[in-house]
Amino acid sequence: MNDPYQVLGVPETATDEEVKRAYRELARKYHPDNYHDNPLADLAQEKMKEINAAYEQITKMRSGGSHGSTSGYGGYGSGYGGASGYGGYQGSARQYGGSSSSVLQQVRIAINTGDLTRAEALLANYSDHNAEWNFLRGAVCYRRGWMDEARRYYQTACQMDPGNPEYRRALEFMENGTRTAYSPNGTPFGTDVCVGNPCLTLCCLYSLCNGGGYLLCC
Amino acid sequence: MYGYVRPPLGILKEEETERFRRMYCGLCHTLGRRYGLASRFILNYDFTYLAILLSDREEGERDSGRCPMSPIRSKPFLRGTDALALAADESVILAYWQLRDGVADHDWLHGLPYRSLSAVLEPAYRKAVSFRPAFDAAARQQLALLRELEEARCPSLDQAADAFAALLGAAAGEVVDPVQQRVLGQLLYHLGRWVYLVDAADDLKKDAASGGYNPVALRYGLSDGVWTPESRQAFAVTLDHSVHMMTTAFELWDFGVWRPVLEATFYTGLFHVGKAVLDGTYRSIRRGREKELQE
Repeated sequence: MNDPYQVLGVPETATDEEVKRAYRELARKYHPDNYHDNPLADLAQEKMKEINAAYEQITKMRSGGSHGSTSGYGGYGSGYGGASGYGGYQGSARQYGGSSSSVLQQVRIAINTGDLTRAEALLANYSDHNAEWNFLRGAVCYRRGWMDEARRYYQTACQMDPGNPEYRRALEFMENGTRTAYSPNGTPFGTDVCVGNPCLTLCCLYSLCNGGGYLLCC
Repeated sequence: MYGYVRPPLGILKEEETERFRRMYCGLCHTLGRRYGLASRFILNYDFTYLAILLSDREEGERDSGRCPMSPIRSKPFLRGTDALALAADESVILAYWQLRDGVADHDWLHGLPYRSLSAVLEPAYRKAVSFRPAFDAAARQQLALLRELEEARCPSLDQAADAFAALLGAAAGEVVDPVQQRVLGQLLYHLGRWVYLVDAADDLKKDAASGGYNPVALRYGLSDGVWTPESRQAFAVTLDHSVHMMTTAFELWDFGVWRPVLEATFYTGLFHVGKAVLDGTYRSIRRGREKELQE
């Protein structure tokens, strides 16, 4: 295993408080809530495990190997693998029970295993475009990065079955989800919530171009 | 590409700006070495970002030298690496197809600059294809698809953006490490999607006047090129989801010394540019800046 201090990005001389702060920042970054249905969620999960193990190891080392002082730990790691995501299809067999047909159950499994081509083929051959079909179609779109279509399918699913919390959560995430996305130091995340002087960004790297640069530069 | 991705200088430390400049100059020198002086005109920030994303964690060795743009003062730049070579090859292929696209988009007279430049770049392009045939095939395929969608006036914003996004995502195809390839593929896909959509938003008024194809106008029914509050909000949300996909991918790979400039760009720079485009101030800021430069 890697050096736990290196994993958390703090020196060995860091205080307990500094270690805890570094851990919390990383846990916020790789938290499953920040990787909802993300095609790279498995990599984030690995990171989260590594961070949890590093934090646990440091707290153990600092308490002389006893388990007594891990009170600051928890809350993040324990949530992993749980049903914290809005996408019910990624959960266990318990959630497949919500499917109205065995084909749609297979779609959920295909999405869960990352086989989007299969999920799409199954959906294309399924003639009853009910609320669940629209919800699953939205989930496939989201994973493919077709964000506008995902939102539209989720909207349709919600219109067809307004009482379904799974569909409602998915739509809510599409409409507001990025507002709670991780960003360093908690700076606002979003095009319409960003504040500041646009000139800050748009100032030309005049010095880089060294006099206007080449034809397509700037 | 289009120059919408740029480093937010105001929040970057000077050493990071200098590092970015060394990469910019390094890419320029690599282009010159591999493809001759004429190829250096394609250099821009977009390709510099591509080089940074494909680069090693460490900055690597530096050289120092004069160049046509700095003929008197010698400037430090990054010495050629495998990553710079890959970025240079892919940049040449992308720039060439962009120019060909410009030829197809314009009548004979207005297409003249594109035709001339693509003719200048032709030998470099042929050489780049011999190094990266798979990337060229992907570029051809995706641009042909994009042209088809544009001609059919595809009303799906995602479908049109996908053709361009997948083209940029293919730039990760030559990366050897499987995790790095997945991360970069995802990051570049959404960077491409964001660039395509922001460019379409920036062209709303121009396309409304000329009747040109604009997926954003079609999607939201903006025949006069003016946002409604609802459509603007919905569009900002779809952009933000792409930025979120970029940032979540970005956090899963160690970009080493390039982290500060990338972090500032993805978490701050893109939002500022996106907001300026939506506010309609982006073009005037750029025009004003260009005017300043000419004075």
